[in-house]
Amino acid sequence: MKRILGVALGILTAIGGFVDIGDLVTNAVVGSRFGMSLVWVVAVGVVGICLFANMSGRVAAASGRATFEVIRERLGPRAGLANLSASFLINLMTVTAEIGGVALALQLASSVHYLLWIPVAALAVWLVVWRVKFSIMENVTGLLGLTLIVFAVALFLLKPDWGNLAGQALAPAVPDEETASSYWYYAIALFGAAMTPYEVFFFSSGAVEEGWSIKDLIQSRINVLVGFPLGGVLSVAIAGCAAVVLLPAGIAVTSLSQVILPVAEGAGKLGLAFVLIGLVAATFGAALETTLSSGYTLAQFFGWSWGKFRRPAQAARFHLSMIITLLIGIAVLSTGVDPVLITEYSVVFSAIALPLTYLPILIVANDPQYMGKHVNGRPVNVLAMIYLVIILAASLAAIPLMIVTGAGS
Amino acid sequence: MKLVPVPPIAGRTLDAQLHLLDRQALDNDGVPVTTVDDLELSGPEPGTEIPEGTPAPVITALLTGPVLGTRIFGGRPPSSRLIRIPWKDVADVGVVIKLGVSGDSLDADWVERWIRDKIIARIPGGRHDPR
Amino acid sequence: METRPGNTRTSKRTLLLAVCFAGTAFLTGCGGVTDTVSTAVEDSASAIATARLALGQESAGKLTTAAAATALEDSLRELQTSRDSVVRLSPSTPEDRQVRQEALAVLEGCTAGLNTARDSVAGNDGAPSAEDGKQALDEAAGRLSELKTKVGAQ
Repeated sequence: MKRILGVALGILTAIGGFVDIGDLVTNAVVGSRFGMSLVWVVAVGVVGICLFANMSGRVAAASGRATFEVIRERLGPRAGLANLSASFLINLMTVTAEIGGVALALQLASSVHYLLWIPVAALAVWLVVWRVKFSIMENVTGLLGLTLIVFAVALFLLKPDWGNLAGQALAPAVPDEETASSYWYYAIALFGAAMTPYEVFFFSSGAVEEGWSIKDLIQSRINVLVGFPLGGVLSVAIAGCAAVVLLPAGIAVTSLSQVILPVAEGAGKLGLAFVLIGLVAATFGAALETTLSSGYTLAQFFGWSWGKFRRPAQAARFHLSMIITLLIGIAVLSTGVDPVLITEYSVVFSAIALPLTYLPILIVANDPQYMGKHVNGRPVNVLAMIYLVIILAASLAAIPLMIVTGAGS
Repeated sequence: MKLVPVPPIAGRTLDAQLHLLDRQALDNDGVPVTTVDDLELSGPEPGTEIPEGTPAPVITALLTGPVLGTRIFGGRPPSSRLIRIPWKDVADVGVVIKLGVSGDSLDADWVERWIRDKIIARIPGGRHDPR
Repeated sequence: METRPGNTRTSKRTLLLAVCFAGTAFLTGCGGVTDTVSTAVEDSASAIATARLALGQESAGKLTTAAAATALEDSLRELQTSRDSVVRLSPSTPEDRQVRQEALAVLEGCTAGLNTARDSVAGNDGAPSAEDGKQALDEAAGRLSELKTKVGAQ
C-alpha cells in the first residue's frame, strides 16, 4: 500500500509541477489567437521533455553525478563555460518571470498591486530554499499545483463544440487573422515552454539530492512517462479554455488576468478559487526550481559544495549565488517591466538555448565510463537524434522569426 | 634530443588532461572543495632550452580559482597568486579526486570559508542541519 | 582556432543576412499610419472585450471584485499603450492626419468608458452602477468596430 501511495505521489507531483508561468501564458496566448491549431506542438514538446528528463535522471542515478558536473568533465572548460553562461542567463530570465508570475497571481487574488508582492514572493522563495526539506518542497507545491485541473473541468463545463476543437487540433491551419510567420514563432515559443532547460538541471540535481540509485529509476520513469503527458493535457486545457471563450470574443491574451476569465466563465467563483491557488502554487514551485537550478549550475561547474541536503554553512557559495539571483530578479521586476512580456521572451530564449543544454546530456548518456551498462539503448538514441534535429531547427529559426514578426505582435 | 626515460615505479598510468583536469576534488569527508582548474608542474619553463639529463616534470599541485580564466583565454598568473592544493594532499584519483585532508585546512577553500563566516553564518538558520 | 579559406566569405554572407533581417525589421516597423492605427484598434478591441467579459462575470457573481478590478486595470493599460502608439505617429498627408484624429477621438472615448467600468467595480460612494459601466463599454466597442471598418476599408 505504501508503495502505491509513493508511486501515486510521484505521479501527482509530476503533473502538478509541470505547468509554470511560461506554459500558462504561452498556451493561453496561443489558444486565444490560434485556437487549437498549435496543440500538436505541445505533444511534440511533451515527448521531448520525457525523453530528456529520463536521460538526465538515468545519468544521475547511474553515475551519482548531476548533469552540469559531468558537462565540464566530459566537454572541457570552454564548452562548459559557454553552456554555463547561456544556461545561467536564461535561467535568470526564467526566475524573474516566475517571481513576477507569483506576484501577478497574488494581485489577482487580493487586488494588492503586484509590485508590492514581488519582495514578498522573492523572500518566500528564499525562505523555502533556505530551510524547507527538498522532498517536502516538491510534494507540497506539486500537489497544490494539481488544482490547475480546474482548467480541464471548466472546459467541460463550458460545453464546447468538441468536434470543432478536435478538428482544429488534428488538422492544423493558420487562422485568417494571423500570418504563417507568427504561427511558427508561437510554435517555437510553445516548444520552449514545454521543454524548459531548467527542468533537466533540476531533475538530475534533485536525483542526487534525494540519493537516487538505479532501483529508483523505475519510479522516476513512471513519474515522467505518466506525469508529464498528463501535465501536457493540462497545458492543452489552458489553450482550450482560451480558444473557447477568448478567441470568439476577439480577446488576445496579454496579461495573466485574461487567462483565468474562461475558468470563471465555466466554473464560477469556486473554479476561480481553485485556479488562483493553482496559479500561485505552480509559479511558486517553478520559482523554487529555477532558483535552485541557478545555484546548481554555478556550483556544479566550479566544483563548489552544493545541495539542500547540506547545512547552508557547508554550501555557502551555493546559497549566496541563489540569494544574488533572487536579488537580481527583484531588481529587474522593480523597474516595472511587464512580467508577462519577460515570460514571453524567456520561453523563446529557452528554445534558442535548448541545443546547448541537451547535446551534452545526449553525449554523456551514451558514455559507458559514466553510465556503465545503462547507456542509451538504440531506440532511445534514434528518438534522441530526431529530437536533436527538431531542437536545432527551432533554435535557428527563433531569432529570424522574432525579428520578422516583431516578437509575435 | 633525448629525454631521461621515466623511472620504473609501481602504480597506475594517468592521463593528466583526462583524469585530473576539470575533475571534482572532494575532501576527506566527501565534501566538494573545488574543480581542478589547472595543474602546476615542476621542471623547465616553457620556451627555454631543455638540457640533457633533465628529470621529467612532476606535478607539484592542483590549481584552482582565477587560473581557470587564464587556462581558457591564455596567459599565466604570477606564481604567488596561484591557489594551490599540494599534490601530497591527494589521496586517490578515480572518477573524482579524493583528498586526504579536510577542506578547512586548504587554501583552496578560503572563498567558501570567507562567505560562510561573513554572510551565511550571520543569517539565522545558516548552521541548521536540514536532515 | 583554425581558419579556413571560406571563413571570410561566410562571415561576409552572415553580415549581409543580418543587414537584410535588420532592414526587414525596420521596414515592417515603419508600417505607416493606417497599419499602426489598425493594430491599435485591434489591441483596443481586445482590451474592451476583456473588460466587458470581466464586468459581465462580476455582475453575474462568477468573478471576484479583486480579479475583475485587476482585469480592468490590465485592459486600461493595454488601451493606453495603443493610444500612445497613435499619439506618437507623425502623419504626412491630410488623409493620414484625419485618420489619426479620428482614432485618437475614439480611443479617448474608450478610455473614458473603461474608467467608468473601473469605477463601477470599485463601488465607492457615488460610483456609477454596473449597468452604467456595461453601457459605457458597449458604446466603446461599437465605436471601435466602426473605426475598424473605416480603417480597414482604406
